[in-house]
Amino acid sequence: MKKKLKVLMIDDHPMIIEGYKNTLLGENQKEYQIKIDIASNCDDAYDRILKSSESVPYDMLFIDIKLPPSSDGSITSGEDLAKHAKELLPKSKIIILTMHREDHRIHNILKNINPTGFLIKSDLTSSELLLAFNNIVKGKAYYSATVNDHFRKMMTNKFSLDEKNLKILYHLSRGVKTKNLPNYVSLSLSAIEKRKNQIKEMFSIAKADDQKLLEEARKRGFI
Amino acid sequence: MRFISFVLLVIFFFTFFGCKDTHEVSDSNQEELKLIETYISIATNKSIDDKERIINADNAFYWLDKKENDIPKRKKLTTISKIYYELEDSLRFFRTTNYTIELANSISDSLGAAFNYNRLAIYYERKNRLDSAYSNYFKAEKIYSKLNDKDPYNHGKALLGLSVIRRQVKDYTNSISTTVNAIKKFELDGNAHNYLSICYSNMGIVSNNLEEYNKAIEYHFKSLEHAEKLKNKDLREILAYNNIGIVYKNQKKYDKAIEYYNKALSYKEYLKNNPKRYALLLDNLAYTRFLSGEDRGIYDVFINALRIRDSIDDKSGISINTLHLAEYFQAVGEDSIARLYANRAKEVSSAIKYNPNLLRSFQILSEVSDKETGLRYAQEYIKLNDSLVKKERLFRDKFARIQFETDEIAQQNVQISRENEILIIAILGLTALFLLGYIIFRQQQSNKELLFAQTQQEADAEIQGLLKNQLVKLEEGRQLEQKRMSEELHDGVLGRLFGVRLSLDGINQRANDGFTEARNKYIEELKSIEKEIRLISHDLSTETLPSEVAYIDAIEELVGDLCGLNEIKYEFNNDEHIDWEEVTDQKKVNFYRILQESLQNIFKHANAENVKISFDYVEDKINLTILDDGIGFKSNKVKRGIGLKNITSRVSQMSGVVQFLSNNNAGTKVSVSVPV
Repeated sequence: MKKKLKVLMIDDHPMIIEGYKNTLLGENQKEYQIKIDIASNCDDAYDRILKSSESVPYDMLFIDIKLPPSSDGSITSGEDLAKHAKELLPKSKIIILTMHREDHRIHNILKNINPTGFLIKSDLTSSELLLAFNNIVKGKAYYSATVNDHFRKMMTNKFSLDEKNLKILYHLSRGVKTKNLPNYVSLSLSAIEKRKNQIKEMFSIAKADDQKLLEEARKRGFI
Repeated sequence: MRFISFVLLVIFFFTFFGCKDTHEVSDSNQEELKLIETYISIATNKSIDDKERIINADNAFYWLDKKENDIPKRKKLTTISKIYYELEDSLRFFRTTNYTIELANSISDSLGAAFNYNRLAIYYERKNRLDSAYSNYFKAEKIYSKLNDKDPYNHGKALLGLSVIRRQVKDYTNSISTTVNAIKKFELDGNAHNYLSICYSNMGIVSNNLEEYNKAIEYHFKSLEHAEKLKNKDLREILAYNNIGIVYKNQKKYDKAIEYYNKALSYKEYLKNNPKRYALLLDNLAYTRFLSGEDRGIYDVFINALRIRDSIDDKSGISINTLHLAEYFQAVGEDSIARLYANRAKEVSSAIKYNPNLLRSFQILSEVSDKETGLRYAQEYIKLNDSLVKKERLFRDKFARIQFETDEIAQQNVQISRENEILIIAILGLTALFLLGYIIFRQQQSNKELLFAQTQQEADAEIQGLLKNQLVKLEEGRQLEQKRMSEELHDGVLGRLFGVRLSLDGINQRANDGFTEARNKYIEELKSIEKEIRLISHDLSTETLPSEVAYIDAIEELVGDLCGLNEIKYEFNNDEHIDWEEVTDQKKVNFYRILQESLQNIFKHANAENVKISFDYVEDKINLTILDDGIGFKSNKVKRGIGLKNITSRVSQMSGVVQFLSNNNAGTKVSVSVPV
């Protein structure tokens, strides 16, 4: 008797859903009888999550980060959706699937959602997806190599940088001028300067210039 | 003496030319001045022969003539003219004096001019040329009155000169008023007792001639008073006593007259050296005694006086002496002897042109001659008398004319100077007006120019602003478009590709037809396409303007990334002298794009193994050189692709120069030179 699993796949690209289905419903998948629901936008997804929370909750949620926002604008991304899901469906396993592989994004997702599965789409192959699925069903977490890489880098640092500091570094590395940073990070210029100095101290390169800071940050894997 | 001046001259030339090389000009000037002084001092030496003095004075004049027109020069000229005057060299005296006056007038040294007018007047007076003397005194007086008592002493001398001449032409009232003025001036001077004495004696003589005898005596005593204050008072006192004697004689107070004549005669020491005065006194005394009716010894005294006068050739003295003798012999009835003396008096008087005595001689002659001759002499007397009266009137008229003419000239001068003033004011006014007009005109012109330049500038700024806006908008639009493309690629194309790949992969896992491996290969290829697209998307989204700090990093990163991706070795150099913060964003972006474009060309067409990229700073220009060792292209044959066109347009946008150098199999060199 196959174990029944209820899964919600949230992605705005039907092609991707197709890909997931093709992988999970293949012949090598014989242990589970999987019922798949699909949502292509935040409104849809939220409705389904809400409904399932009142009846049979989903066992697993596949959530893309980049999604068309909800019509009332309260939910703008997979990240928001995952937060709601964690509240509404505390027992559901959340798998984040995203194209984004930037360290700060990974970092934020890990910190805010702490998903059971974290897969970077560009790394993903169907066998890996299957592997992840099997692991997660059994209650084990599964992260893509890129995510694990990030973990490893973070572990080598004795400290971690918060989201804002990472954002500062990220934008600096993209060539944004310090004076324009307040437009990207919701901090005042003086606060940003302060943080920059803190980061430099943490890197033990106090008084170094921005170039040096970025070099160091790259080396340590914060960018 | 000639020898001395010759030696002096020789010494002078030696010192002058000897010093010339080593000394300043002022030294030679000093030498010349010394020389002039020496000449003058020799010329003033009265113990030297007259001719020698004149030669020395001539030499002094010659050297002085070259000197600058200053006070010392004119003083020296005055001294020289005085020397000529003493030596009675009228030609040289006139020349020097007139020259001095000319010099003084040329620089408005009126004081110097007046002094020399006085000097000329005295000379004319001595030559008995009264009108010339009068006119010169008059000129001097005019100047002195204008100068407001700057030189009261010489002013007094001029006035005194005038008054004496007036007296001589019997213009007594004017003579008195002029003398009074002279006295005022001399009193102002405070020390001019000699001239005050002369003034009062002139007053006395005039009063005597007006038969105001008491006044005359009073004046003569005043003259005496001043004479007593003099060092050499003898002459003035003798003259005063003599004059008093004359007044008393005219009053017929003969005893008193004799008393004063004797007082005068008591200055024996002085009179011994001045036989002229001595003879005068003797003659006067004898004549008074004769008038008083005395007879004894008078003839001897007359003869004694006449002998003295003959011996010193005192013509005017002889004239009066012989008259007195004629009168005496007429009185004693010796008409023939009287006639002799009267005749002599007539001759001498006419020789010295002393008309009063000539007249008197005619009178006596007419009385002592026989009827016929007497009548002739009487007629001569009347004729001379008439002519004298006429002459005196003429003189007075002349003086009046001189006065009038001078006044008129002064008035004319005033008028001319007023006219000149008006003319000058008018010219100045017109000039000022013209200048003002010109300035206003220029101001307006320059204002217009400024305004024009300003509007030009504003227009330029507007155009630039518009261009900039346009550029900014273009750039914004481009960036927006890039961002959209980046997102589209990332989220749309990439997502779908990923879905396709995943599906294929999933299906492939289940298929067992022996082609799994082959399909896997394509799936891998799809994955690498995804990667490439993601890179492009990333590039598109990050190709915003690099920050100043990281600009050169960004460039290096770009080069590193592209070269890494295309497996080409690269070398990158950045000149430290380039201050990238000073370079405009536009230029930075352009450099970035040029580099990108060039590298793209190299990767696509060049087949190169090495690329060398360098930024150099040469003479305010940034030179970017991109060198590869690829196959190159024939510069003139290759059709310019969009890439090259883009580079060219970007360089010209920065008003720079670009060069593409290439030969077959010899690589390509792109040189961009842009002013900072």
